[in-house]
Amino acid sequence: MKFIVIDDSSTMRRIICNTLERLGYDDVIEAENGLEALGKLRDIDVIFTDWNMPEMDGLTFVKSVRASQSFSTIPIIMITTESGKPDIIEALEAGVNNYIVKPFTPEILREKIEKVLRK
Amino acid sequence: MNVEYINPFIKSTINALSTMAFVNPQRSKLYIKTDFEQTSDISGTIGLAGEATGFVTINFPEKIALTIVSNMLGEQMKNITPVVKDAVGEIANMIAGGAKGELIEKGYSFKISLPVVSIGKNHYTNYAKENPCIVIPFIIPEGEFTVDVVLSRTVNIA
Ligand SMILES: [Mg+2]
Repeated sequence: MKFIVIDDSSTMRRIICNTLERLGYDDVIEAENGLEALGKLRDIDVIFTDWNMPEMDGLTFVKSVRASQSFSTIPIIMITTESGKPDIIEALEAGVNNYIVKPFTPEILREKIEKVLRK
Repeated sequence: MNVEYINPFIKSTINALSTMAFVNPQRSKLYIKTDFEQTSDISGTIGLAGEATGFVTINFPEKIALTIVSNMLGEQMKNITPVVKDAVGEIANMIAGGAKGELIEKGYSFKISLPVVSIGKNHYTNYAKENPCIVIPFIIPEGEFTVDVVLSRTVNIA
């Protein structure tokens, strides 16, 4: 299993990567924004992406992935501070498979990751 | 004065810090900021723009910032590094994003900016002072920190 964690905050990337590592997944790469991530999707099994980022935000990134030839079926988990219902609906409509609101406890993060991976 | 928009910021601050940094901030009495020359050791600001506009800033003394970020990362922070700055920006982001979700239900709609983190200087130079800046003081065992909120509806919802 190979993951990519996309977030402009190095703190968040570290917390998410640490959680993945504790779950036994250590093949994880990182990107600071959607644009950087678009060039790193080869062999990726699950995408974790933030919403608010410079260069290319998470929503634009999700739409690009879903519209792409090679990567359109990769599961995407959005991890964001955006907690409003309209925002969550917009993200799901864009093709996000699961949505995690920051702040999260390690348990919630673990639960959601496991749920997506079981599918 | 209408401060119905303050509660969501109080809740999101407590939620962000208790969930990610395992501290339980106690809120003390709100007041309106009058001294805009005031400085803090480190602060994170998120601009709010849309039908409602303003900003939210979290101001930490160095000691508290280090405690909170150390807890968040499970690693001892000894001084204000780029890692600490990044974490403070992300805390501000969680405060703004958490409040946003609740405020949309109350008719305050806005987008949140990317965080801006400042060290030891006045962050309010561009602030139009006709709107009150409400200060929410919080206390944890290590000391006190504040969250400043300015928010006003710029478009009337008829
Ligand atoms: Mg972000």
